[in-house]
Amino acid sequence: MSTYGHLDTDAHDVDPPGPDTRSARPAPASRTVLLRRATAPVALTAVMFLLAFTLGSTTLVTMQEVLAFAVFATATNLLLGQAGLVSFGQAVFFGIGSYTVALGWLHWQLPFWATFVLAPFVGALVAIPIGLVALRARKLYFALSTLAFSELAYQLAESRYNFTKGANGVFGPFVPTALTQPRTGYLFLLAVTVVSLLLLWKVNHSPFGLVLRAIRENRERVQALGVNVYLHQVAAFVISGAFCALAGAMFVIYSQSGYPELLDWTTSGWPVFMAVIGGMGTFLGPALGALIYQFGHDQLVLYFSDWQLVLGAVLLVIVMFWPDGLMGALARLGGVIRRWWKGRR
Amino acid sequence: MSDETAHDILLSARGLVRDFGPFRAVDGVDLDVRSGTIHSVIGPNGAGKTTLFRLLTGILRPTAGSLEFAGEQLAGRPTHVVARRGIVQAFQTTSIFPRLTAHESVCAALVSKHRRSRDLITWFHRGLAGEASQVLETVGLSDVADEQARALSHGDQRALEVALALAMSPRLLLLDEPTAGMSPFESHKMVQLVQRLAKEEQLTVILSEHDMDTVFGISDRVSVMHQGRVLADGPAPEVRRNADVMAIYLGSEA
Amino acid sequence: MDLSAFVTQSIGALSTASSLFIVAAGLTLVFGALRLINIAHGSFYMYGALAATTVVGWFPDSGFWIALIVGPLVALVMGVGVEMGVLRRLYGREHLTQLLATFALLLIFADLALRFWGKNVRSINPPKVVNGNFGLVGARVPAYDMVIIAAAIVVGGGLWLLLTHTTLGWKIRAVVDDPEVLVCSGVNIRMLYTGVFGLGALLAGLAGVVIAPQQAVGPGMDAQIIVAAFIVAVIGGLGSITGAAIGSLIIGIAETLGANLAPSWASTFIYLLMIVVLAVRPWGLLGTPER
Repeated sequence: MSTYGHLDTDAHDVDPPGPDTRSARPAPASRTVLLRRATAPVALTAVMFLLAFTLGSTTLVTMQEVLAFAVFATATNLLLGQAGLVSFGQAVFFGIGSYTVALGWLHWQLPFWATFVLAPFVGALVAIPIGLVALRARKLYFALSTLAFSELAYQLAESRYNFTKGANGVFGPFVPTALTQPRTGYLFLLAVTVVSLLLLWKVNHSPFGLVLRAIRENRERVQALGVNVYLHQVAAFVISGAFCALAGAMFVIYSQSGYPELLDWTTSGWPVFMAVIGGMGTFLGPALGALIYQFGHDQLVLYFSDWQLVLGAVLLVIVMFWPDGLMGALARLGGVIRRWWKGRR
Repeated sequence: MSDETAHDILLSARGLVRDFGPFRAVDGVDLDVRSGTIHSVIGPNGAGKTTLFRLLTGILRPTAGSLEFAGEQLAGRPTHVVARRGIVQAFQTTSIFPRLTAHESVCAALVSKHRRSRDLITWFHRGLAGEASQVLETVGLSDVADEQARALSHGDQRALEVALALAMSPRLLLLDEPTAGMSPFESHKMVQLVQRLAKEEQLTVILSEHDMDTVFGISDRVSVMHQGRVLADGPAPEVRRNADVMAIYLGSEA
Repeated sequence: MDLSAFVTQSIGALSTASSLFIVAAGLTLVFGALRLINIAHGSFYMYGALAATTVVGWFPDSGFWIALIVGPLVALVMGVGVEMGVLRRLYGREHLTQLLATFALLLIFADLALRFWGKNVRSINPPKVVNGNFGLVGARVPAYDMVIIAAAIVVGGGLWLLLTHTTLGWKIRAVVDDPEVLVCSGVNIRMLYTGVFGLGALLAGLAGVVIAPQQAVGPGMDAQIIVAAFIVAVIGGLGSITGAAIGSLIIGIAETLGANLAPSWASTFIYLLMIVVLAVRPWGLLGTPER
């Protein structure tokens, strides 16, 4: 029988016993299972790659923004969805990523590639003390203290004029000319996004990721299992901070600048919105949220001045009636269609 | 069931005391638990059973007294150390992971036991999936392994709690009122499970329980607590005949 | 620093603390009873202030005193609407849900305010009686500062009386510990929640009116005050009115000191302060650890 193992999911002539569980336990991964699970991501990447040659330059530039935000939102969701930590301070790291590139050029004439690679490490380094302090607080106090860190970073960037050029921000030709082309810029960001999401996905499915979810569900129980909850949360905070900073460095290719608003607490709200719109219970939900958020924003701003009103209304509806976001809704829709299909046969 | 001389003493408490302010919840308890036996602690509400359990698992530090487990002094050691030495308690159902599946929950416990929680690279199932399935099979949850814990019945949630404890490979398993709130059918299943664990897995079990038929049906030894002290202690049939015990239960429970 | 400068600075610090206290008291009162952090509290504050500018535009002479009634009422109506329309469905959900819902409301209200009042910054004068300065031990003190301080004292005293000397206050304090017992004893808990939330909104509106003669009134003041109110409430301990008083005093003094001693660091000072407090006491000075 085992030689036909790869056929068995498609070849059910008889209904399987018991309810069809959506998240089937990954059996000791056989090659075919791995192949099947890789299909969707590979196909998605291929489509995204082809888009570079079909989309117009304006859309490609918007897509650059989307990719940076996709990483930002996915990294934030490591805390939000996985660890159950509501942070309103991830903009600190996003801004630090941008500023690493911009200030590296301004003060030390560092080449773009060096600062781009450096950014996630700077983000992680800053995340260590912030995480150690903020994670002493729980729940709302944690959310509000990350918010305070975000405001602190914003005020620092704005008031330290000699270092950061204050409210104006840092502008300059620090992005290599090759990357300022919409297509090459997009392709470069796509490659970085794919690698980042793969790494974050690995973390999600690692023993560490499982323990984070267990902590989200029941902190005391995990403690009783002999795990140091605090240090694991700090580690998650640092990983998230590193990828948020990378996202900030990616954003520079689009914005070609670094400015204080990137650090503000309302900026910290963006990835949270994206994650919630897309669905924070799923891995790709936040990235989908980034796509919808950015295109929604760009389109609405064209025809309609009240972007915040629409965003607020959408958020409110999702939070109240669709707590698992678009991906959750899609999954449910998929379930309905599958059942309907089965019923027809 | 058990021949007393055939079993070594696994856990030995001497003069355990725990005060909460002026109130003495546990007042000089001596307890000997023999390896491979089921040892019940009974007594009316407020007798100090729960406090005693918390002293044994290290959640509470004793005010005085000693606690020897497999030849090692454990009094005052923190919970996770005690757990690693092999004393594990199955908690109440409020202590599960509601949105993890049964299988994932057990994997989480196994990750902790194997000290792999810092592993960011490998799949969490690697090397654990089989072990987790085995644990779930032991407690009879194979059929619902992929259900979220919050969707399980009360009895299955209790069984999952036992599974989480078993995943830590305990030598001594503590069960605080394992059949509380269960239907007769569920209680029967739980009792069978406990007996099987003791017999087949060579596990030593301490349990507290209100239902006297359950207690005397499965226990090798019984300790009776009242007002923080152990009033009577001995093989189950002997304790059952003890007049003091009858008095306590007739007076306050029956 | 001589005595007159000291007096001027102290009154300034007290006045800053007072307006912060009125906002933060509402925020922390709502948290205390409902266990939710209301980001839209900033909107209630802004609408109170905007309503005040409109009323004063209609009645240039007595407008401020009318606004003192109208502003809080506008906020009260908004608050009751928000509680009954949105929040009531979200009790018992995660903190994130409530934070996001009220954040969404803040965004919605901000754009609506732009529609009603436009982008331009508005300002009003203090009423004539309290316009100008008066002398105090050789210092010139803005008379309006005294109005703000008085308002804070009235609010603080009123809340203290309400919470400790009335049955309503007993219910508000009891609802946190054991809502079920309250229901069993015949209290209409839905009304209680709506009432407490409305009272919090009313205080935000009042603060908006009171601050209007001192500040530019316009877009952005909602997000700005909410951060300040968070800091005050968190330093003092969420849910504690006394904590909010202490927190606002600390921030008032810190802002004034910062502006004098190290002006270029003044804006960062209060955030550092909050971070230090949370590092030492993660649940605020007078708060209780979260279960």
